[in-house]
Amino acid sequence: MNDAIRMQISAFVDGELPDAEADLLLRRMSQDADLRKQVAEFLEIGRAMRGEPGVPGVERLQDRISAALDDKPLADDEVVPEAPAGRSMRPWLGAAVAASVALLAIIGLQFSPGIDGSNEVEPERAVADVDEDAGITVPVPDDELRQYVLSHGASSSELGANGLNTRLVTLRLSEEALAEEETEEDTVDEEATDEILTQP
Amino acid sequence: MRVPVVKSLAWSVIAMGQLSFSSTLAAERIEPNEWLSRMGAAVQMTSYEGTVIRIQDGKAEALKVIHTVSDGVIREKVVAQEGNGLEIIRNGNEVHCILPDRQSVLVEEWDDQSTLFSTLPTSEVRFGSEYDVSIVREERVAGRQAILVAIRPHDGYRYGHRIWLDTETAFPLQTQLIGEDGTALEQVKFADISLNKIIHASALAPSYSTENYRWLKQPARHISHVLETEWASSDIPQGFRAVATHGEILPGGDAVVTHIMFSDGLASVSVFVAPRDAAFSEGPSRVGGSNSYSAIVDGHRVTAVGEVPAMTVKQIATTMRRP
Repeated sequence: MNDAIRMQISAFVDGELPDAEADLLLRRMSQDADLRKQVAEFLEIGRAMRGEPGVPGVERLQDRISAALDDKPLADDEVVPEAPAGRSMRPWLGAAVAASVALLAIIGLQFSPGIDGSNEVEPERAVADVDEDAGITVPVPDDELRQYVLSHGASSSELGANGLNTRLVTLRLSEEALAEEETEEDTVDEEATDEILTQP
Repeated sequence: MRVPVVKSLAWSVIAMGQLSFSSTLAAERIEPNEWLSRMGAAVQMTSYEGTVIRIQDGKAEALKVIHTVSDGVIREKVVAQEGNGLEIIRNGNEVHCILPDRQSVLVEEWDDQSTLFSTLPTSEVRFGSEYDVSIVREERVAGRQAILVAIRPHDGYRYGHRIWLDTETAFPLQTQLIGEDGTALEQVKFADISLNKIIHASALAPSYSTENYRWLKQPARHISHVLETEWASSDIPQGFRAVATHGEILPGGDAVVTHIMFSDGLASVSVFVAPRDAAFSEGPSRVGGSNSYSAIVDGHRVTAVGEVPAMTVKQIATTMRRP
């Protein structure tokens, strides 16, 4: 990736790229897996967590992440020290959650500063939301919950509100179920093979 | 509930009539709710081909999308441009999800009127007054002139939406689901699109030979019957009401689960009431863009699921009562 593209991506994630150039970049992304990967890496939350420069809005995100990790609200005028480089994450579910919330925040900061396009984001509110969400994510739902999500998606569809996102999420859930099923089948096959091999 | 075909056609005719207006004039003269109604017709009637960028949970993925409607039958092809090369081929309500890495095809049935790019219910269920709908501005998306319609919730119990509609056809070129702090939780955006182009059948054929693949049919939900239930929320967030209740036997289970669907006109929350499971754990979870909350109430497992903030599913799940 050359410097020009890098600068373009930087401006893009900063929301400063003119619409025409942003459209062009999106088109390029749609056809260039490497570029998509680069943009994804650019947005990678690990960089924010490590305090590396290069992702605009990192400072604010760090504040939010730190607040979430420390489990305390952040006052408007409170100065949050920068996370030292190489900081190891605590083995706490909340850390992963804070990361995902912060990554959403990056996307939000860059793509959707406000519902009407304004740049007004209330820091206190944002932190409160992070705190409220911290510790709630279960990455892989149990089978019953998965069935509930699928059923809800189907019912939403009956209301006419089943879009691409819902479909892909439910499809991914189906894929997970399929993978689990295959694993179980493999285990059964292996056990059966073992039985055959150990038979006198 | 869904928009009757005749009504959809009527909207389509109206939408076509608008083509003679300049985009600016059209934007000025049409009320925001009318734009949404036109969108409902456009997503059902418009043929298109393009590249979609989807962003969720910090991940961006590109999908090639082809969609056509012929004699009232929807045909679609969606191809993931990365990852496992997933292809979705739809012919009417039968859908084949091709997973080349697993050499498998999942066969599903989708609602025959559901569309790829509508995240809003049909106009007939948009009864709510918990949102303000307004036109924000015009700008370009995917090289086309678009009008940005913002749907703002009045409180924190629901998400907002931003929808960029093509000014000529009212087709949604970009949609965002907006969280409480103004961030986009989900985003779908066309990078390029051709509207109303002639699409040949060959373009909709699968890219893989699936002859030797495993074909798997998704187990169907068994909806036993419409229920009269005594379960209700004692403190339902304002604007939500029960729109459907029925008994379901979910795949892998044998007990009838009571499924109550609540809606505020845009957002919907499903509540499932099941006999308490020994392995049951209370609390919140998140799957994709959906939040859920499970609680034990009156010896039952009550789980609320929906594309709404975490506090909404929690309040609904924990306030479900049976007199």
